[in-house]
Amino acid sequence: MHYDLIVIGMGLSGLMAAKTAAEAGQKVLIVGKGMGSLCLFSNTIDILGTIPRTTKMRGGLSQWIKDHPEHPYSKVGLEKIEEALSSFLSLFPPPYSFQTIANMNCLLPTGAGTLRPTYFIPSTMVAGASFREGHTLIVGFKGFKDFYAHYVADQLKCRGITLSFPDVLHQDMTATALARLMEKKSFTKNISKEIKKQLHGETRVGFPALLGMNDPVQVKEDLEEIIGGAKVFEIPTLPPSIPGMRIFNRFKEWLIQKGVTFLLGYSVSKAKLGGKRCEGIEALHPPVITSYSADRYLLATGRFIGGGLKADTEKVFEPIFKLPVHQPRSREDWFEKNLFTGAPHPIHQAGILTDPSLQPVDERGDLILENIWVAGSILAHHHCFDEKSREGIEIATGYAAARYGLGTLK
Amino acid sequence: MKIKTEVLIIGGGATGAGILRDLALRGIPSVLIEKGDFTSGASGRNHGLFHSGGRYAVSDPEAARECIAENRILRKIAPHFIEETDGLFVSLPEDGLDFRDKFLRACEEVGIQTSLLTRDEALGLEPELNPHLLSAVKVPDGAIDPFALVLENAEDAEGHGAKILLHTEITSLILDGDEVKGAGVKDLQQGEEYTIEAPYIVNATGAWANEILKLAGLRIGMALSKGSMLITNQRLNHSVINRCRPPADGDIVVPNHSVSILGTTSIRLEEVENFEVTPHEVSFLIQETSKMIPAIQEARFIRAYAGIRPLFQSEEKGDDRAISRGFALIDHGKRDGIQNLITITGGKLMAHRLMAEKTSNLICEKMGMDVPCSTHLKPLPGASRPIGPKERLKQFTTNRGEILCDCELVQRKEVEAFLGGEKLKDFQDILHRTRLAKGTCQGGFCVYRLFGVLHDLRMAEGDSNKILRGFLEERWKGIRPILWGTALKEEELIESIYKGIFNL
Repeated sequence: MHYDLIVIGMGLSGLMAAKTAAEAGQKVLIVGKGMGSLCLFSNTIDILGTIPRTTKMRGGLSQWIKDHPEHPYSKVGLEKIEEALSSFLSLFPPPYSFQTIANMNCLLPTGAGTLRPTYFIPSTMVAGASFREGHTLIVGFKGFKDFYAHYVADQLKCRGITLSFPDVLHQDMTATALARLMEKKSFTKNISKEIKKQLHGETRVGFPALLGMNDPVQVKEDLEEIIGGAKVFEIPTLPPSIPGMRIFNRFKEWLIQKGVTFLLGYSVSKAKLGGKRCEGIEALHPPVITSYSADRYLLATGRFIGGGLKADTEKVFEPIFKLPVHQPRSREDWFEKNLFTGAPHPIHQAGILTDPSLQPVDERGDLILENIWVAGSILAHHHCFDEKSREGIEIATGYAAARYGLGTLK
Repeated sequence: MKIKTEVLIIGGGATGAGILRDLALRGIPSVLIEKGDFTSGASGRNHGLFHSGGRYAVSDPEAARECIAENRILRKIAPHFIEETDGLFVSLPEDGLDFRDKFLRACEEVGIQTSLLTRDEALGLEPELNPHLLSAVKVPDGAIDPFALVLENAEDAEGHGAKILLHTEITSLILDGDEVKGAGVKDLQQGEEYTIEAPYIVNATGAWANEILKLAGLRIGMALSKGSMLITNQRLNHSVINRCRPPADGDIVVPNHSVSILGTTSIRLEEVENFEVTPHEVSFLIQETSKMIPAIQEARFIRAYAGIRPLFQSEEKGDDRAISRGFALIDHGKRDGIQNLITITGGKLMAHRLMAEKTSNLICEKMGMDVPCSTHLKPLPGASRPIGPKERLKQFTTNRGEILCDCELVQRKEVEAFLGGEKLKDFQDILHRTRLAKGTCQGGFCVYRLFGVLHDLRMAEGDSNKILRGFLEERWKGIRPILWGTALKEEELIESIYKGIFNL
């Protein structure tokens, strides 16, 4: 099968790229071996968490671009970053929409009881951004081992309760199982009645971020109605991320509806190169290998977790196209002596070098493959978890790489 | 607070706990103090090899005799902590067979049972071995769990009236003229300082021996030797694999539960704290041990760690009490004129019971008592309790609860059972007594959950994230040297959680 564009990788950057190309009327194939780190870590949309909370994001970002000419944001530019974000936001109309608190970073409570800066937050987390304005009750579930109400409450200096329901939650409960359970009216009714009984005048109630997979706003409203007088919010915790899965599911539904070929569970085992062009890929869905080809290819395979980058004892490499990887000189320089140094570990800056239109280049700046574009966290010159910029980089570069690839941007 | 006892033992390693049990069984009251948890020193930082003595048969027959004798005793008194894996001494083409023949003769002389295996027989037992091996010699090596062994020695001693004070540091030695009278100590958790009156003091602090002796203005000749080890994330061998050549670096692979431990190196150190495993040592260990088991080249590692061997230098004055080349029992009354102060150091985990016996004999001699040792005859209490796969499986089939550690299948109720007991105030103590943080992710998930449980049970309050950060920082020391391949992926996951989601 021949396509206009093949997107390799199903994280947020690959999904954005596929959306952008599909909107331009292209015939698109997206192939991913898994659901990407989106479903592990992305609860909200970080743009740049290091910007002070008193500065508007636009101004902060524009200064950042001036100060970091090699950063992926600088390759995309402020204007296209904003286009990319609008394109992302348009996929999430109310009720489950994303919003900012006055166009600035806001602080959301986490499953470790810390506060974390982020930018776009879903409707289900909004009340968490102002949890200090009232008394807050944190609710956990016995049997769910990735969130502890008292742990969070003790750090945030508020009150916690752990709900126990012998009929349902007597064993190990996963976040996904609990999220589905939350969508049963009888279940939410039971827990909200119990919470109402234990409420001591709190005006906000925080839950782990698993209030339903498909219609979390409905779950939130159902809870609020019975509890009465308190706003409910979700708190991000250990992976997997239910809010990340909601984003993934929404993209998947939309892309399939637009006619994009969506191959989940396929890993790209080989790229066929001819001169400076990629002529096709082989996708492995054990035990079958299928060949696909396209005019253009977009690499969005992520970092080490996604398998976009791999490391042996000596070097970091990119396994599909064997693109050169910008990296520290030797393994001894990959990591700092301390884990929490304040400075990011040098290896996190490693990645693929590109020209301003996100095409792969070598250290001299010469183009390597002329029909390949690169997007997402695999790019060099960012450290997304220290910067708190993961989703922003993925959305902006996924969008821009697809636009550059289509030739609609110069 | 003031405590009076007959014998004060300093150090909660295998030797200290062994002495505590030995004295308790002889009916002599004693108190053990330890500044950390049990086995914080070399007793907890070794490869857990239950020696047959084969390793020393050629180079040090006396140490080999000691090993095989203790090997036989420990199989009787502590069978539940020993995995009877046997060991192979493998001859590779570059080693030739001269040493093997010397080795077979030496084992026979010291009484270690051997059987010579052909290449095919050896590969039949251990399919991962280098297929070019010439032959292998089977000896009664095994694997031992040092922490459980020490803990049960201590518990049995407590059952016989001994007292244990963990997280308690010695601050001064109290002398009356030339005689020890006791020690000033400090409870490191509560901050309380008090004295322990004791007419006899045993310094069983291993590599820290001189830190204690300094308090009496004394010093013994000791060299500190760092040994580094690597843990694989799966077990590669059934039996202990040794290289059949004179003992050197990187020639042992010890199976342990679900992993294998590669050892070791030997590097002289000046300081007893603040040491790390260097990338060079890691590369060296992989290179050397993979000559015996090639799969090590491709293995995933979960941690690197190092321990310090205290090596007693016997050329010092008045050391005639050094009863074996392995360990040193020093009577400071004879050596330095400080009466009733004894240092026991050097030696090996294998000799811990013997070291305790000799030390206790010396104390009895000083007390003018004639009570014989019985630790070689009386099994540890758990020896008669049934353990094995059936018992472990039972825990999982009946009333299964939350599993806090997915790597090692540690259940919440198991942890709560530990927390139910007294005295566990330090969270590291909980990690030592369960399998938490021992698996592939090295506590990346379960330590957060442990704090969650502690808060749920109202056993922790306040800034647990500071302790969590401290734990992750400490964990980093063991992880950083082995970060490539799959381990690097895992590390990205852990950083994404703690620096990303949790913003620690």
